[in-house]
Amino acid sequence: MSAPTTARPAGGASAPGRAGPRRGPSPSVRRQRRAAYLLVAPFMLVFAAMLVVPLVYAAYLSLFREQLVGGNSFVGLENYARALGDAAFGSGVVRVTLFLVIQVPIMLGLALLFALALDSGRLYAQRFVRLSIFLPYAVPSVVATLMWGYLYGPDFGPFTQVAEMVGLPAPPFLSSGWMLGSLMNILTWEFIGYNMIIMYAALRAVPADLYEAARMDGAGEFRIAWSIKIPAIRSAILLTVIFSVIGSYQLFNEPNLLQTVAPNVIDSAYTPNLYAYNLAFTSQDLNYSAAVAFLLAAGIAVVSYVVQLTSQRRARS
Amino acid sequence: MSAPRKPLRSRSRALAAVVAASALALSACGGGDDAGGSGDDGGSSVEPVSQEEIDEAMSTPTTLTFWTWLPDAQKEVDLFEAAYPDIDVELVNAGQGLDQYTKLRTAIRAGEGAPDVVQIEYQYLPSFTLGGDLLDLGPYGAAELEDTYPEWVWEQITQGEGVYGIPQDIGPMGSLYRQDILDEVGITAPTTWDEFAEAARTMRQAKPDTYLTNMPGNDPGQFVGLLWQNGAKPFGFDGDQTVTIDLDTPEVTEVVDYWQGLIQEDAVSTDADFNDQWYQGLSNGKYASWQTAAWGPVFLQGTAANTSGLWRAAPLPAWEEGDTATGNWGGSTDAVLSSTENPIAAAQLAKFINTDPESALTMATEQFLFVPSDVVLEDPTFLEAAPEFFGGQQVNQLYTDLSEEVDTDFGWLPFMDYVYNSFNDTLGTAIDEGGDMEAGLQAWEEDITSYAEQQGFTVQ
Amino acid sequence: MTATTPAPTVDALAADPAPRRRGRGSTGRRSPLLTVLVLLTLPYFLLPLFWLVVASTKDNADLFTSFGLWFADFNLLNNLQDVFTAQGGVFWSWIGNTVLYAGVAGVGAAFLATAAGYAFAKYSFPAGTAMFSVVLGAIMVPTTALAIPTYLLFAEVDLTNTRWAVILPSLVSPFGVYLMRVYAADAVPSELMEAARVDGAGELRIFFTVALRLLAPGFITVLLFQLVATWNNYFLPLIMLSTPSKFPLTVGLAQWQSTAAGGSGAQALFSSVITGSLVSVVPLVIAFLYLQKYWQAGLATGGVKG
Repeated sequence: MSAPTTARPAGGASAPGRAGPRRGPSPSVRRQRRAAYLLVAPFMLVFAAMLVVPLVYAAYLSLFREQLVGGNSFVGLENYARALGDAAFGSGVVRVTLFLVIQVPIMLGLALLFALALDSGRLYAQRFVRLSIFLPYAVPSVVATLMWGYLYGPDFGPFTQVAEMVGLPAPPFLSSGWMLGSLMNILTWEFIGYNMIIMYAALRAVPADLYEAARMDGAGEFRIAWSIKIPAIRSAILLTVIFSVIGSYQLFNEPNLLQTVAPNVIDSAYTPNLYAYNLAFTSQDLNYSAAVAFLLAAGIAVVSYVVQLTSQRRARS
Repeated sequence: MSAPRKPLRSRSRALAAVVAASALALSACGGGDDAGGSGDDGGSSVEPVSQEEIDEAMSTPTTLTFWTWLPDAQKEVDLFEAAYPDIDVELVNAGQGLDQYTKLRTAIRAGEGAPDVVQIEYQYLPSFTLGGDLLDLGPYGAAELEDTYPEWVWEQITQGEGVYGIPQDIGPMGSLYRQDILDEVGITAPTTWDEFAEAARTMRQAKPDTYLTNMPGNDPGQFVGLLWQNGAKPFGFDGDQTVTIDLDTPEVTEVVDYWQGLIQEDAVSTDADFNDQWYQGLSNGKYASWQTAAWGPVFLQGTAANTSGLWRAAPLPAWEEGDTATGNWGGSTDAVLSSTENPIAAAQLAKFINTDPESALTMATEQFLFVPSDVVLEDPTFLEAAPEFFGGQQVNQLYTDLSEEVDTDFGWLPFMDYVYNSFNDTLGTAIDEGGDMEAGLQAWEEDITSYAEQQGFTVQ
Repeated sequence: MTATTPAPTVDALAADPAPRRRGRGSTGRRSPLLTVLVLLTLPYFLLPLFWLVVASTKDNADLFTSFGLWFADFNLLNNLQDVFTAQGGVFWSWIGNTVLYAGVAGVGAAFLATAAGYAFAKYSFPAGTAMFSVVLGAIMVPTTALAIPTYLLFAEVDLTNTRWAVILPSLVSPFGVYLMRVYAADAVPSELMEAARVDGAGELRIFFTVALRLLAPGFITVLLFQLVATWNNYFLPLIMLSTPSKFPLTVGLAQWQSTAAGGSGAQALFSSVITGSLVSVVPLVIAFLYLQKYWQAGLATGGVKG
């Protein structure tokens, strides 16, 4: 999913055989261009209005400061300087980075294992398995979090009940030490199936003859999986990695909703996005919130780009 | 009065043009006109509205929007609509507390979608008067209500000469006990905090699964109420640009140290309140008491119905033997937004709901709010009610007496949502983790002080 | 779309890939061990959903007193009645809104993305590559981080607290454009377009009469994508909307949950929250099960061809 490799000019447009005037495009090319612009225009318009303009606006807002008393003033990059030195923002970024480093490999690793297992064709009840794993993705994250919130309950949650039955101490899922892990679990539960399906679909599309030769040579299934299948779907895996990176840095719904269950564990800056939200709506500090949001967006873009770049470099070497 | 804030509008008119151009598809379907701009602050020396004007407004077909999270508010609205058939009230539950304020600010900022009348808790009134968002109800017939409310309640809704809300309910604090558990352990309801601490320890030894009480780390309202009881005055706002933040006083530290001691020796629990765990704790006897407000008794009847007859009410323990002071926790007003197009009708609605005898009594006896208006507080059927839940005790009478003991002079900051949020992150976390509450208190004070300075206030 | 068969991949996309694999697979021998291992993990995925079903049948008291993973007194019908009548039946509005938002956003986004992706794939035009690169870069822009600036902009043009505020931002799917560009490159043969031109068809007519049909599977994938994203969206409507009758299910349920936990005189709505959650999940689960092959097909395109 990299721009340079896919952006090949598409065929059909400028058929060289059809001689036109030397200078300027032929009438038919001009017609086609007009059509192309017409087709692209609706999307680009909405795209500009809903993505580009807000982004520019966020940048613009972030250069001001509006106080409850004293009004609005231009402060240049002061908000950014403040954000970079803001311990609350920093700890949120560190927390989601930690989240990312631990949760994403686990989730994608499991997804890949399931995808390979499905693709191997060696499972009974294949369809049932596939659907079961995918089902959580159909549950809105709001509902998923509500559900897990109840399941985690330290007094009446089923885990506690079971632990009590066998005489063990209740697992403190909602304590400050466990919370990040509990969040990881919710996200993993929600998205294993989704990532599995992406990988599985990619595996299905790998031409079969790639394996045949290896199989003739007597390579086992694990070897085939490792040295043929996984490399063959690396771009699909990359896609899931990038989506997961973006998703981790954007964490909001789950911590926001678990706040009602564990109000002192999840503070107002638990994740950068939660922080931006609280800045805008509780602190009424929209300008600073815009700076934080803008930094966050920039940070995500950079991280995703780096992920993509390193993986391309590795692919080439 | 503070200059009304006109967020965003003037500043980015040029930008708006750019936006309008690039988002041309949008503006076509926007539909809203900019009617909300009548927020000019007339000050408080406005002539009272005459009866003729009121009569005219109340017989003109009008639709009012009323945001409240009061369950079954339709009952009171029905009474209002019966009295004024030309006024149509659209009732909206836009969420409770902070959820609703967030939406209200959003609507105010957007200049569209704000209601005419809105439920606001006492401590949040200054954060809306700061921006000139609330209508001074004095000229609309609220000024003459002064004598029908306890003095401290009136103090809460006024700023200078302005009256910015009609009290709906209040929460003078008392203590609710599980009499059966106290009997079992052999203690009586403590009258001082020293006795209370002793009883808490006794309880732990006698009944390991039970705590005498729970001190949540997520309920600044309750904690501030306890500070209020001890005569602390941590917050203040002069209505203009100067705020007072004073958490480093003996009155505050005494309360903080007291609870820190109990928490660290595990004599009280520290569960977050108002969530499912805590509800269960109330109904299954994990907590043998609850230091709560006047709305607490009825709330408890709903959430711990299985413990009917086992509870008794008493005043809060005192810091000094014989001291009767108490604090307030919660309660709401109905305020009118200055952006309303129908200020007279809106003010009448806010007034009617809370002061019409039938409406106010409905609230008190059916929705069980503790309505501070004399029409309720002097009504025998209210005072003499003896609910079975409290073993026939006249709980309302007790809380009515308590409401006379609330310190009159307790102020707020014009950004209490930030203050409360910050409490959860600092002092509340210390409570929750059994950590250093002194340090948490200090962190809380520093955080809100630096916020206030950041927002341009002069901090005293 | 006569004899010209689209590229082989397209075939694979449209049809359930399973049959193609039979025979090519390993030796076709199934492994009980592997099956058991995988089945052992399934409770992780299914137990929370089972809990949801069980909990929906309990009243408030049983929720906290009975064993969480088994049934107590059967109160599902009561709970359902509560859900649909609470606060004047506002739950109905939430369902309607969710369907409206997800439906309009899904169809709209799919159409915009299809037209744009097709144009990027099949025409070369000045600035085309540049535009596509910008769109591609936008996949990485976190939409939630944009929600606040978008909210501020909408406030300027009086769009906050309108249904448009939720729908308009959901119409943009850069990933959908990317997907459709990759898909259209193969699915619509250039020869076919050329033939249509010779027959005198205009470019737009070619798109609407010839290409659109070939692009249908991709279209449906993007539609589903955006449908689900909008159905599950919480942050954007949370910020944009203040009137409960405009809420989608996610925001409404979250509000009930915080009201349930909110205290001071509110009703305990826990059982309604849980039953409402179940109700909100069911349509999507059904849609997923039913349309699963389109999902896989579309995702295969995006993943493989990158």
